[in-house]
Amino acid sequence: MTDLPISSPASAARPWAAGAAVIVAAGVYAWALLMAEETWQVTGLLALAVAAVLAALKTGFARRLHQDWSASETRLNRLAFATLIVLIFVLSDAHFALLMVATTLLYFTASMGLNIQFGFAGMANFAGAAFFGAGAYTAAVLGTVTAVPPLLTLALGGGVALVLSLPLLLPIVRTTGHYAAVVTIAFGVLFRTFLEVNEILGGPQGLMVAPMRLFGWDFNSAPVIGGYEMSFYVNYALLAAALAGLVFMLMRRLERSWIGLHMDAVRLDETAAACFGISVTRTKVTAFLMGNAILGVSGALYGMMISFIAPASFTFSDSLLMVSIVLLGGLGSLWGGAVAAAIVVLLPEKLQLLQEYRFLLFSILVILVLLFRPDGILPRPMRSFFASRRAGK
Amino acid sequence: MTQTLLEFRNIVKRFGGVTALDDFSMRLGRAEILGLIGPNGSGKTTSFNVLTGIYPATAGQVLFDGQDITNAAARAVYEAGIVRTFQRSRLCLPLSIYDNIMIGDTARLTGSLWSNLISRKRLHGQIDASYRLARDLVGSFSGHLADRMDQPVGALPMIERRRIEICRALISGPRLLLLDEPSAGMTHDETHQLMDDILAVRARGAGLSIIIVEHEMGVIERITDRCIVLSYGRKIAEGTYAEVAADAEVQNAYLGAD
Amino acid sequence: MDFGLIAQYLANGILLGTMYALVAVGFTLFFGVLDVIKFSHGDVLMLGTFIGFTAWLGLEAIGVANPWVQLLGVLICSLGGTALIGAAIAKWLVLPLKKAPQLNTLLITLMLGTAIREAVRLFYPNGSNPKAFPALLPDAAVELGSFSLRADSVILVLAGLGLIGLLNLVINRTRLGLAIRAVAQDEETARIMGINYTLVVLATFAIGSGVAAFAGIMNGLYYNEINFGMGLILGLIGFSAAIIGGLGNLYGAILGGFLFAGLQVIGAALLPFASAYKDVFAFAVVIALMAWKPTGLIPERSSDRV
Ligand SMILES: Nc1ncnc2c1ncn2[C@@H]1O[C@H](COP(=O)(O)OP(=O)(O)OP(=O)(O)O)[C@@H](O)[C@H]1O
Ligand SMILES: [Mg+2]
Repeated sequence: MTDLPISSPASAARPWAAGAAVIVAAGVYAWALLMAEETWQVTGLLALAVAAVLAALKTGFARRLHQDWSASETRLNRLAFATLIVLIFVLSDAHFALLMVATTLLYFTASMGLNIQFGFAGMANFAGAAFFGAGAYTAAVLGTVTAVPPLLTLALGGGVALVLSLPLLLPIVRTTGHYAAVVTIAFGVLFRTFLEVNEILGGPQGLMVAPMRLFGWDFNSAPVIGGYEMSFYVNYALLAAALAGLVFMLMRRLERSWIGLHMDAVRLDETAAACFGISVTRTKVTAFLMGNAILGVSGALYGMMISFIAPASFTFSDSLLMVSIVLLGGLGSLWGGAVAAAIVVLLPEKLQLLQEYRFLLFSILVILVLLFRPDGILPRPMRSFFASRRAGK
Repeated sequence: MTQTLLEFRNIVKRFGGVTALDDFSMRLGRAEILGLIGPNGSGKTTSFNVLTGIYPATAGQVLFDGQDITNAAARAVYEAGIVRTFQRSRLCLPLSIYDNIMIGDTARLTGSLWSNLISRKRLHGQIDASYRLARDLVGSFSGHLADRMDQPVGALPMIERRRIEICRALISGPRLLLLDEPSAGMTHDETHQLMDDILAVRARGAGLSIIIVEHEMGVIERITDRCIVLSYGRKIAEGTYAEVAADAEVQNAYLGAD
Repeated sequence: MDFGLIAQYLANGILLGTMYALVAVGFTLFFGVLDVIKFSHGDVLMLGTFIGFTAWLGLEAIGVANPWVQLLGVLICSLGGTALIGAAIAKWLVLPLKKAPQLNTLLITLMLGTAIREAVRLFYPNGSNPKAFPALLPDAAVELGSFSLRADSVILVLAGLGLIGLLNLVINRTRLGLAIRAVAQDEETARIMGINYTLVVLATFAIGSGVAAFAGIMNGLYYNEINFGMGLILGLIGFSAAIIGGLGNLYGAILGGFLFAGLQVIGAALLPFASAYKDVFAFAVVIALMAWKPTGLIPERSSDRV
């Protein structure tokens, strides 16, 4: 991209410093929140987060941050990933905290799959938990077959979700609006009912899932580095981080490709898109299959990690919870999805008080966000083909 | 007339009880500019919609360059080289000028999943080249728009949006451009400026045919080679602007419609 | 398969179909006047049933023992309360969102449904457990061979069908119905004709919600059990029914309701392997129907102008 008029923002000498500071701070904050045990500590930390966000907005720091992100996005994304890995190793023996990190990452990954559909192509999918579950059940069934290497099982989790999507393609591409919504809603209910009555898949009791293994390394055994024993969840957290990073990269590339542009065009105006040669069918099929495959892969790893799955974890309400992540974060917003996934997973776990109330809480939260901030907590930046845009102009 | 590019043969379009196009036949020559006029609701937009595959025709045939394209899908019509603008502007408002124009160039810029997501060398080449191309095209309409290729279209005033919409239609190098009331929502001066721009673009690209639907008769008079007048879906007159303007039935249709 | 069993399935199908149709007409009415889907419909229904149940508890507590009086009290409280709730949701949540994208309204009302459901589960006394709904109707039954026709189901079906008929009359024969149809057809024109738009919308939501509450009470009286989750599944089925019938059309909703019940019954009766798959079967057919008729069996008139 030689002659593109990309200039660095006038205001910042180091157009990444603010971003980098925030990433490191977020890492420390995440560590503190994960390790906090008393309710007062958690509440204090939450209050701190709210105060920090308000302050950032008031002082204009948020704008500077935004500029940094447009100017040095790739660099900052890498730093964020590195911080995540460091966080996982710092937590090394905190069993429960690592489980939460890994769960957040897998929900985040799943929500990116949904985001291709909701956020990019503008298609509703109310069976997210079903495709996630399809991956988990695939892992459970294939786990009993020792001949299948677990890494392949992950891919096959996506494959099965993809195959299950095939019969839905015709109704999905032919219907629009509410009529399309009913297709995935019906599928979600169908899937869960099927699991409940099917004895081979364990019925309502569900199935055990064999752990992940990689190059002969069993993920359910604790890694020991230099005589220091860590929680076995370190394995899963690292793999979940790798998966999330990979999918994140894929999403960025998708967004900055012709296919991504076509998805946006189809979402914004199907008729006009068709008049300029965009195949609406092909675009929707791509979004539906890609999204569901991502859901399936993350579900497979999730199943292996929690080692026991049942139909009750893949209900319509769970699908709605995933949709909540997408909406809270902001349609099409990747970083928004990450923050929202953390909120949705961590909040009820850290405030045991809320555990019981979480569906109520999140449903009200989503209603409020949709009413007062329909673009989500971190709205999607304007799409662009370029990782570093001319900032501020 | 020169060689025929487009032909409507007895096109009928009904919406329930409403007959929007009633046995409408017409021809358009290569490199011709045809004005399609008529009172509100006379079927002008509907004839564009039938032609571009948005609505199926109830009866009749459409031929483009000798090929039968009756009821072809919108995409096939685009691939044959027919593009349009819309009466009510239909740009993707949150997207940048550049992105909007690229939507018009799908024929060249699509590619496989592989080249879009994995091995992206070719994609980057396409982006570079098309950025330059788009900026030049926009620049021929308005220099200052060309400096703002990364800004969202939603922030632009109406006339600029019309220009972007026309650029989106022209970027693929089409053979037939359909303009549906390009001057809607513009002042007199802006309209004429827009027409100059269109004529300039046409002068560069050889052989572009245009059908223009317009209520601003000054525009029609100035730029069209020939006019067709519709009233209640029927063709009631055809000829140069001077001829149709003098036609008694045409005057009647316009007065009667008020 | 003998006659008795077939008759049993048939009777069951008619009862379910009536219930589903009562829920589906609500979806269709709301869509008609506002072009929105109010997904919380099923949970509002559940709330209405709980109101009815609470009314019964109250009547018991003050010593009213006659089942008919109790039934009347339950119906008045439940239908009236639900109608009010429906109108309130329309006024404060749905009407303000009229201009929002379709997906947003759908999602907000979905989330509202979740909130209602969770609120009942958490805050109704012992709300997470099923409640024994009283059998207020006579429990006589006529035996015809192996088929026993329960008096209560006959009464319920007749009452339900009567209500659907009544609703049809209201929509087609009264001034209110005329206003509702006018608004559904063209809001602007209806306003110009002097119709109080907001009032018509609120009335429609009240009527639709009240009718759904009736379905909830029917459900309670027939199965003698209610729980906080009953609205979700009834709402999903009612929504599917309204969609496969074709939105915006009363007959479509009724057709869809009976069709869905028919599918469940056929699934239960005919699937060779296991009747447990009846819902899987019914929803699979719904998906197939959407592929075949993407805008429902009785399509609405599309008005997507270009
Ligand atoms: N999708 C549709 N459904 C029903 N009727 C339609 C539809 N589109 C157009 N019509 C009707 O067809 C007739 C012709 O409409 P059309 O939009 O083609 O007129 P027009 O000549 O473009 O008018 P205007 O100058 O107002 O744009 C009108 O009576 C209109 O109401
Ligand atoms: Mg028109």
